[in-house]
Amino acid sequence: MPNLTIDGVTVEVEEGAYILQAAQKAGVHIPTLCQFDGLEPWGGCRLCVVDLWRPGWDPDWFKMVTACNHPAEDGVKVFTSTPRVLETRRVVLDLLLARCPETALIRRLAAEHGLPATTFVRNPEPTDCILCALCTRVCDHIGVSAISSVNRGVGREIAPPFHQPPPDCIGCLACAEVCPTDCIPFTSSDRQRTIWGQDFEMLRCSQCGRAHITVAQADHWAARTGVPRSYYETCDVCKRLHHAEVFARLTAGG
Amino acid sequence: MRVDSKAAFERLQATARERAGAHKAEVLVCCGTGCLAKGSKGVAEAFAGEVESRGLGVSVGLNVKSTGCHGFCERGPLVALRPSGILYTQVKPTQVAEILEQTVVGGKVIPRLLYKNPVDGTRVEQYAEVPFYKHQTRVAMRNIGRIDPTDLLDAVAEGAYAGLAKALFEMTPEQVIEEVATAGLRGRGGAGFNTARKWRSARRAEGDRKFVLCNGDEGDPGAFKDRSIMEGDPHSVIEGMIIGAYAVGAHEGYVYVRDEYPLAVVNLTIALSQARAHGLLGQNILGTGFDYDIRISRGGGAFVCGESSALMRSLEGKTGEPRAKYVHSTDKGLFDSPTVLNNVETWADVGAIILHGGSWFAAMGTPKSKGTKAFSLVGKVKNTGLIELPMGTTLRHIIFDIGGGILNDRPFKAVQTGGPSGGCVPEGLLDLPVDFEKLTEAGSMMGSGGMIVMDDRTCMVDVARYFLNFLVEESCGKCVPCREGLKQMLAIFDDLVAGRGREGDIARIERLASAMQLGSLCELGKSAPNPVLSTLRYFRDEYEAHIVRKACPAGICRELTAYEIVPEDCDGCHACFKACPVNAITGTVKELHMIHQDVCISCGACFDVCPTQAIRTLPKAELAGREVS
Amino acid sequence: MEMIYKVSVGRCIACGKCELACAFAHGSEGRPARTRINILRRGVELGTPVVCLQCHDAACVAVCPTEALVRNQRTGAVDMVRERCIQCRMCVAACPFGNMLWDPVYNCVQKCDLCGGEPRCVPFCPTGALTYVPAEEAAVRPEPLDRSVLAGDGR
Repeated sequence: MPNLTIDGVTVEVEEGAYILQAAQKAGVHIPTLCQFDGLEPWGGCRLCVVDLWRPGWDPDWFKMVTACNHPAEDGVKVFTSTPRVLETRRVVLDLLLARCPETALIRRLAAEHGLPATTFVRNPEPTDCILCALCTRVCDHIGVSAISSVNRGVGREIAPPFHQPPPDCIGCLACAEVCPTDCIPFTSSDRQRTIWGQDFEMLRCSQCGRAHITVAQADHWAARTGVPRSYYETCDVCKRLHHAEVFARLTAGG
Repeated sequence: MRVDSKAAFERLQATARERAGAHKAEVLVCCGTGCLAKGSKGVAEAFAGEVESRGLGVSVGLNVKSTGCHGFCERGPLVALRPSGILYTQVKPTQVAEILEQTVVGGKVIPRLLYKNPVDGTRVEQYAEVPFYKHQTRVAMRNIGRIDPTDLLDAVAEGAYAGLAKALFEMTPEQVIEEVATAGLRGRGGAGFNTARKWRSARRAEGDRKFVLCNGDEGDPGAFKDRSIMEGDPHSVIEGMIIGAYAVGAHEGYVYVRDEYPLAVVNLTIALSQARAHGLLGQNILGTGFDYDIRISRGGGAFVCGESSALMRSLEGKTGEPRAKYVHSTDKGLFDSPTVLNNVETWADVGAIILHGGSWFAAMGTPKSKGTKAFSLVGKVKNTGLIELPMGTTLRHIIFDIGGGILNDRPFKAVQTGGPSGGCVPEGLLDLPVDFEKLTEAGSMMGSGGMIVMDDRTCMVDVARYFLNFLVEESCGKCVPCREGLKQMLAIFDDLVAGRGREGDIARIERLASAMQLGSLCELGKSAPNPVLSTLRYFRDEYEAHIVRKACPAGICRELTAYEIVPEDCDGCHACFKACPVNAITGTVKELHMIHQDVCISCGACFDVCPTQAIRTLPKAELAGREVS
Repeated sequence: MEMIYKVSVGRCIACGKCELACAFAHGSEGRPARTRINILRRGVELGTPVVCLQCHDAACVAVCPTEALVRNQRTGAVDMVRERCIQCRMCVAACPFGNMLWDPVYNCVQKCDLCGGEPRCVPFCPTGALTYVPAEEAAVRPEPLDRSVLAGDGR
């Protein structure tokens, strides 16, 4: 169980924990963008950088690492707000603000770091996508991999293969929901869901017609988990009604 | 013939040497990519045809061999003759008959085909006396230019796989690592990481499945040493990898070759299949029970795939994006298994180290950078080509003694080493001994060994811009500092070279550079600011001229530079008129010519051809107020 | 000591206090969230509470793609780790009893997690239809409710 110090606060964490979890335990806030609790850390936004000191090093020698995926090692000291850490975060946000000047989340974070506007060349075609890859990562995580990042460098973007409606998509909306800037549009009703240019048939409750998930989602999860398809065929309200009657019958007289 | 014992290997060596010895004379035609581009295939075919028709194979015992890169690319196509040791340069197919009659049969030298020393004009007959070759110490490239890379027996005759036999028959894996440690071998791909230490980590790592890989991605512009090694002596790489696999306990390997090296892929494929057929690779190598096999994986055209974790992702079939470096690939690399990845040249050194001993290798070089290093010397130097020298050789010796000095005898300005991760070293540091530490201290980097020599007609701001432009296209785009930072840095430089530089640009550049160095995920991003920072360190005045005076001191940046003819020096030879691509020059023969500023695009073609140096550059800003007629 | 949340259907008088308690306990700034316990009213003072059964082999846990549903050993409940929820609503669809609830106001999924060990609904239930008891008492049948007393002092 490693023991380490975050900004002077000593904490003990589980084996295999990262610096970010140690910081959370120590009550120290480190800003993140591409971090999501249910997914493996990615280390792409570089916002969570911290200065790390290892035992045996000169007292003024540090290594700048990302807190989200650097292991919490026993005996290390972590500093989350040194001048060079703050300046690096500021430049990261400055660069993101240049790319996404109209995105609320970035504007808020940048303002919190002392940046009312970008000092760089503003993107002539502003986008909300910060290329945090949360959408592609969650899509990979659920075993669908319908979208991915395409092109490298400045041309990088998130898209389905060949920019066509992705044949593998199950319409689960995980990508849209996990996106921190809400930049993946979709429409959803009891009848139909549309995302990435693809329409999905909703799995409607056999009793009342309400729908929560798509047919494709149901098929995917039935195959993947063994939870039978029949479970999804009625909606939650109708299920509660049905089981209320069952419970009442079962417990009649008492 | 499958070699399955030490005795059988010795028999193979004997057979190979006997076959080689049966040739009384040899014609070695360089068929490395550089000479091929200059038509050496035609030369080789002409030789083969003439030898056949004249029956020289029998009468003189002559063997014609197509070899890998001899290194002296500037003077190709190169033909070396044995046993006379004569080197002929810039050979054309039409000269082949003459060479055979005069030199091979007649024993007479043909002076006009010999290398001509550019300093004093003397002709040098012997290959070994040509300054380009005389100063070299070839270890990794020991057999390139001497063997036919597609003929395993030829390689064995020159010592290939002798190191492997020694390792497998006489040494334990730990002893092999010890030998490499004694040699002090450091990675030749650029990082200079201690090779023995890497192998030890992988050996100790947990897991039954381990990999030993070769990084043949060589993405640095101006570097081609790995190409020449893979093309010219693939056996040296294969031998090294098998020794490494034995030391580490790996049974699977890949050579990752960049897609743009088709000849390397062809020659490696042939070499691998020949090695397998002879029991030197695959199952039960040399009858020792050790299994290891190698497959080739081709890159897809991405510089970032030369980065070790990106390379491994690419090998796994994923996009070439680097991964966090906190997990060492010697613990979890390819397919999450312990992996050793080394550069082509590093592997090529291993066989020689095992055969001759680590102390032999460590006797060369400097205290911290042992052995030899291959360099591709390119740019504004007279003798461009591929060389291998002991570490610690000075830049001056490389550029002036071996390189023959600057093209057209123009003044030396800087030499760029280490590719897009490196920096520029100015004249004041020409006596710098080349090794890992010294180059890093000077603000540059050893990198892959590319050395781009620059003369006074080079704008250092433009050089930095060139590398930024390269990296912008090659960044994988995963992390913000590199992807967005390079883009914004390039935007500043585009403004600088076009005369749109602003007060504070240097501070902006330095702020970005710092964030990129600290915040980027991998070395591509972290070292991307190096060319910028090193040119700022040594040539800050050029940056300031661009910003403040809107002038390019080197006279290169087109939007800032005008060209004009100095009346006193113009002799009306009309050469500039013919060279100008946009007809901006007027004048009749023997009369004073004139450049029309409203048409001139500042390409400098006239400047390059003027025999009397009557054309000079000046800042466009100074034109204002002058009359344009 | 292993605790169990016990619902005695016969004692439920459909007063709805548990629903209110739950909704306000999990809302904020006065805005109630979707209640995690639902009373199905089937007559005057007759109701069936339906609430998460904290299944041992839960369908919701099986379908959650981000492992946002985890068993809490101490309380016995299946907890929801909100930071991991991606609102894909597979759990809503999968729960055979309909006890994963979609909250359109807070735009998230709600499930009963026994409030971390002190279920808010229990003290509000006037008839003791909802109890949080040691596991040994789970099988003990409750006393039948004397409905004639209800109209009197409205306990």
